[in-house]
Amino acid sequence: MPAIRIENLGKTYRSGWRRKAGVAALRGLSLEVQEGEIFGFLGPNGAGKTTTIHLLLDLIRPTSGSAYLFDRPTGDATVRRRLGYLPESVNLHDYRTGRGLLEFYAALTAIPPAARAGRITGLLKLFNLEEAAAQPVTKFSKGMLQRLGFAQALLHEPDLLILDEPTSSLDPVGRKEFRDILLELKRQKKTVFISSHILSEVESVCDRVAILAKGELARIGTLPELSAPKSIKLVLRGVPEALIGALAATTAEIRIARGETTIKCSDEATRTKVETLLTDRQVAVERTEVTTQTLEEIFFSAIASKKEP
Amino acid sequence: MKTTLLIAADSIRALLHQRLLLGVMLLALVMIAVFSAALVAQRKVMAVAIADQSEAEAPTGEKSLGKSEAGAPKAGFPAGGQRLSKEQRKKLAEQMDQASSFFQATFYQVASFGGSLVSLFIFSTAVATEIRKGTIRITLTKPVSRTQYLLGKYLGGMAVMAGYALIASAAIVLFARFGGLELSPTMRYAPWLMFCRQFMLGSLVMLLSLYLHPFVAAVLAFFAGNGFYSHGNPLFYILPSYNAFNLFNEMLQGTLMNGKDVLLLSLYAVDFVVLMLLLALWRFRTKELV
Repeated sequence: MPAIRIENLGKTYRSGWRRKAGVAALRGLSLEVQEGEIFGFLGPNGAGKTTTIHLLLDLIRPTSGSAYLFDRPTGDATVRRRLGYLPESVNLHDYRTGRGLLEFYAALTAIPPAARAGRITGLLKLFNLEEAAAQPVTKFSKGMLQRLGFAQALLHEPDLLILDEPTSSLDPVGRKEFRDILLELKRQKKTVFISSHILSEVESVCDRVAILAKGELARIGTLPELSAPKSIKLVLRGVPEALIGALAATTAEIRIARGETTIKCSDEATRTKVETLLTDRQVAVERTEVTTQTLEEIFFSAIASKKEP
Repeated sequence: MKTTLLIAADSIRALLHQRLLLGVMLLALVMIAVFSAALVAQRKVMAVAIADQSEAEAPTGEKSLGKSEAGAPKAGFPAGGQRLSKEQRKKLAEQMDQASSFFQATFYQVASFGGSLVSLFIFSTAVATEIRKGTIRITLTKPVSRTQYLLGKYLGGMAVMAGYALIASAAIVLFARFGGLELSPTMRYAPWLMFCRQFMLGSLVMLLSLYLHPFVAAVLAFFAGNGFYSHGNPLFYILPSYNAFNLFNEMLQGTLMNGKDVLLLSLYAVDFVVLMLLLALWRFRTKELV
């Protein structure tokens, strides 16, 4: 059973009295996130990431299509027992203390009273908020609010976490701690849906990613699936002079150092030509080094593919 | 039900932390206190006048109304020291009774108006503020349905208004006792009807705030039900009427409503509140919360 199933989801924001003029924030989005997966949801500003999250949380209504959490419609309040959410800007009730806020959410999520105090204390410790817990939320810094927001999302030990720009207000130490928590959640087989701008963060923890551009899905898959090889290096020893001359006639880049010949092929056609020459001369390749695109390169190529001509 | 009560309790906590609301409540209480002090002072002047007259009627009494022992005229009474006739004293006693009713009726009116302001403030901002601040987003991602959320907010507001009605009623009773006034029999049900009126106002403004800016919603709700349209106006039959819940005239004239009328008014209020809440729930179910 997928944790998240989105089918042809679309959202157009309408304005004005007659509600005719509209901006299409999301168009025909379909994807599935399996249980236990850490799923990165990427896209530039205005791509429709937060709109998708708001639709998944039933905070706004779709113009078309539908979305399901654990095979239940997103509007079903009971399914939210299995859901934790951290918004991009964490706005919490400023009339409560940090601990008081967690106690309120613990009561709403029906955590047994006997288990509440222990769980809250554990989370406050995990997020380094023990000392600030008795203070009103108004006195919290932005980073502390983000950590308290994360604590409330984890409070009822949900099966699915939806995190919208979770590290936007965190310092490098906070980001490292966040990554460690994500890896721990991965170990516990929790499903995590992360929308983020920080590509390195997504690259290091996500099993799969989806890239959204202009309200449409541009790419989806695992990193190896999405990354096209940038170049291939073939390393050989004892290459005859005649073969070097033949190889130099191709577009491959050849470097010879300490008896080792490195042939760098920048595209598939060059690689085929080089491999044919090597096979004909019966020269064995000692090793092959494939350089693939980084997530950043995949991201920019996906965005570029969606740019209007 | 438990979830609704949790939201209601949270709503009460939020309201008690609202500086503006506390300011409005404080203003209402200050209005009541100032008004009470003025009325009690006036009542004392009249009581002193009657006491002086009784003294003057006594066999050994040689003092005259309107003069102190030093012979200076007393405040509020004609100088000259003439004695009041029996009819004049009877008239003065009647005026005292009327003044007593007027004091309580006016007090009730002020308390009721203050309550209306508080009610408009509470219910127009209850949901709108949470949407504006974005705090609703996390709450509604917990296992809380929109129906539970809205009802919780309404119940929280009701609880605060019930507290206000209790304080205002206690103030009227205390005012009557310390001012030496006979408590109007209308006070048996006046607080309840004041409470009903504010619930009606609250449910209407809550519905309107789901469509409009809270301030516009509050102004519309106030004017929609305050009888600024006559019986001949079609609006009279569509819009709510709070006038029946205003017991100023009954208190002033000392007339009593019968139990059936009070029950009918209560049923009208419940009916109205249920209708407004159903409409508000219908609207809130599809409202975009970002």
